Amino acid sequence: MAGSDLAKYPFLNEAGEYLRESSFGWEELDRPDMKYIIDRAAERIEMEVDGKIYDNLERYEIEILTFLISLVIVKSIGIDQVLRKFALAEARRAEKFLTEDLRKQGEIKRRSVFTKIFEDLFKLKIVISEDRRLFKVRVVDYLARASHFHEQEWKLINRLVHNGYVYLDADETVRLIRNELSVLIYDKVKAMSLPTLPQGIKSKADQLRLKLLSRYERRGSAAVTEYPPCIKHALEVMNKGDNLPHSARVMLATYMLAIGKPLDEIVLMFENAPDFNEKITRYQVEHLAGMKGSHVKYSVPSCDKLRNENLCFATAECDGLINPVQFGRKKK
Amino acid sequence: MRESLISAKTISVIKKAFREYYFNQSKAIEQPLKMEQREFGYMHFRQAGMLRHLSFKSMKELDAMLVREAPSDVYCSNAYYRFPTQQPMQEKQWLGADLIFDIDGKDLGMPCLPSHSYSVCINCGSVSPPEQNDEERSSYSCPSCGCKNADHVSIPCSKCIDGSKKEARRLMNFLLADIGLENSAINIYFSGNNGFHVHINDDACTSLDTQARSDLVGYLSGTGLMLESIGIRKTNTEDLFSIKFPKSGLTYGWRRRIAEKLKIDMTSAIKLKNIVNQNGGYKAFRVELDRLAKDMGVRIDPQVTTDVHRVFRMPGTLNSKSGLSKTKSSDLYSFDPFVDACLLGDGKVSVRVKTPVRLKLKRNSFNISKESAEMPAYAAVYLMCKGLAEAY
Repeated sequence: MAGSDLAKYPFLNEAGEYLRESSFGWEELDRPDMKYIIDRAAERIEMEVDGKIYDNLERYEIEILTFLISLVIVKSIGIDQVLRKFALAEARRAEKFLTEDLRKQGEIKRRSVFTKIFEDLFKLKIVISEDRRLFKVRVVDYLARASHFHEQEWKLINRLVHNGYVYLDADETVRLIRNELSVLIYDKVKAMSLPTLPQGIKSKADQLRLKLLSRYERRGSAAVTEYPPCIKHALEVMNKGDNLPHSARVMLATYMLAIGKPLDEIVLMFENAPDFNEKITRYQVEHLAGMKGSHVKYSVPSCDKLRNENLCFATAECDGLINPVQFGRKKK
Repeated sequence: MRESLISAKTISVIKKAFREYYFNQSKAIEQPLKMEQREFGYMHFRQAGMLRHLSFKSMKELDAMLVREAPSDVYCSNAYYRFPTQQPMQEKQWLGADLIFDIDGKDLGMPCLPSHSYSVCINCGSVSPPEQNDEERSSYSCPSCGCKNADHVSIPCSKCIDGSKKEARRLMNFLLADIGLENSAINIYFSGNNGFHVHINDDACTSLDTQARSDLVGYLSGTGLMLESIGIRKTNTEDLFSIKFPKSGLTYGWRRRIAEKLKIDMTSAIKLKNIVNQNGGYKAFRVELDRLAKDMGVRIDPQVTTDVHRVFRMPGTLNSKSGLSKTKSSDLYSFDPFVDACLLGDGKVSVRVKTPVRLKLKRNSFNISKESAEMPAYAAVYLMCKGLAEAY
């Protein structure tokens, strides 16, 4: 790949190789002219933690160094949420350049991007569509990634699917690997072991840590004032003494556990069920709470799952939710 | 049928027939791929719960267990594990799972169902003949003991089987044309009672997690199709919309299915707008599209496909709800479960029938109105498994 590409995609192994070849050493970071790069790196982190994309592009030597130093600073800050935000923003930065490359560049350039990034890094094979306007990925490759996106438009049913392939435009193709890019950068930082840091970087990292620490103090969770419609519906069925399917009972119990309702109260919620047996119900609720059996705590089924099982009775207030526990808590 | 209500004699006759089957027909049992990585389980007659977390390294080992135990039902995991016998589940180290779909005849809402559904009292096991209407069914009361609860047992008719076959063919169409699976990767099995299990033999699918399988189920069953997918876009104003077809077109997949149904193509923006308006606007048409898609989708059990740790009835083993075998169907059109999956012997068995009953197995019709009768083992076991007859 050309130097300009490494500036856009500094996470590629080739970027690291460039540094090795130039026999760059840590001690050089204390040189006065390196202050510019350290400041750039700090600026990059601050912007990215605020959810913005740092898309300044300078000479590739500068970009590669800035990226590397920002990794070092993020590692040194040592706050996981900062690392997650940084990794996601870096992924979105790469996403922006990738989309441009796929849209504007010719066939050879596109192929090189496909191979270096999609195939080598993420084992995702991209094919150019028959009419050359779109890209195609295998259905299984699509599902493995997009099924974790929450927007309805990413559901397979809302895609053009034919003969084993899903058809996507450039933005969508690149969006597919955002999470993997983010994980790649997250893992890179996690796996780093820091040497004794040059003073310039250390003081920058300390400053930033102090600034960011207050943001990530543990926030309390809001109390639930109203049940979501799926839960209300299940309670209505239950109170009428009708038989509630097993999957709806799991939903009800895991939801009540998630909002912190006492176990005794949850057990009594099932007393109108036609087959109610307190001992069995208690065991089952305790099982879901991770107190019995495999000691795995069950989470509340996602809205997607409930939709598939016909247990979803969404109202307008459910827009944007991916799990019933968010109802009444999430700001739209 | 609740086995606790079945007499010891009846269980002994059924068990003998099962044991004979496993002794004589061991070749009918299909060896699962990567057998050593699978978890096995089985159930005993009259014993609650399943013996799970078992491992069989070879078919010889499994066959020996089948003949020795003559289990009521035999299961094998769809999942591959590094340590299949470890507990709890996470200790097994999941390596992947076959993709499986379940089409259950009783979930298809077949209109014929009440005409061949018998109520078996959960208290005393007395059988009432098929109810004529919903009212009779909801006001059930056992004629012998007055108990208000019953199990409903069905003797599927050819219409039920045709209904399940139709769903299986529809599923095949989606899997071949849209998902791009090879015909040879799709194996269809009669479940042994009233439905079909569709097993996919494709390495690429085995790594799909629950979420990915759930998305696939949504696709196949027609759940969650957005109006925007076919070009109907909501504007900011309440219930107003505009038409802008997606740039990837309407030529394939769900978009083609809906476009054909609505008789539109990429040049029919005005026609589509009129269709939406005739249906009462954006919101009302959303409900209509949802109904259309569900109607055109496949009725599969979502829980079965999304469970990546499930144990499934093993191909070639007997189903204790019927005594029929879970049998591969290589040609759905000609497959007749009442012939091809009815593999028990035909030695004579004397039974006491609890209600007049008609059935056809191995091309022989049985119309039993007398209380006691002598019939071939395969028919007697079928009725006893259903709880409609007792050995005597």
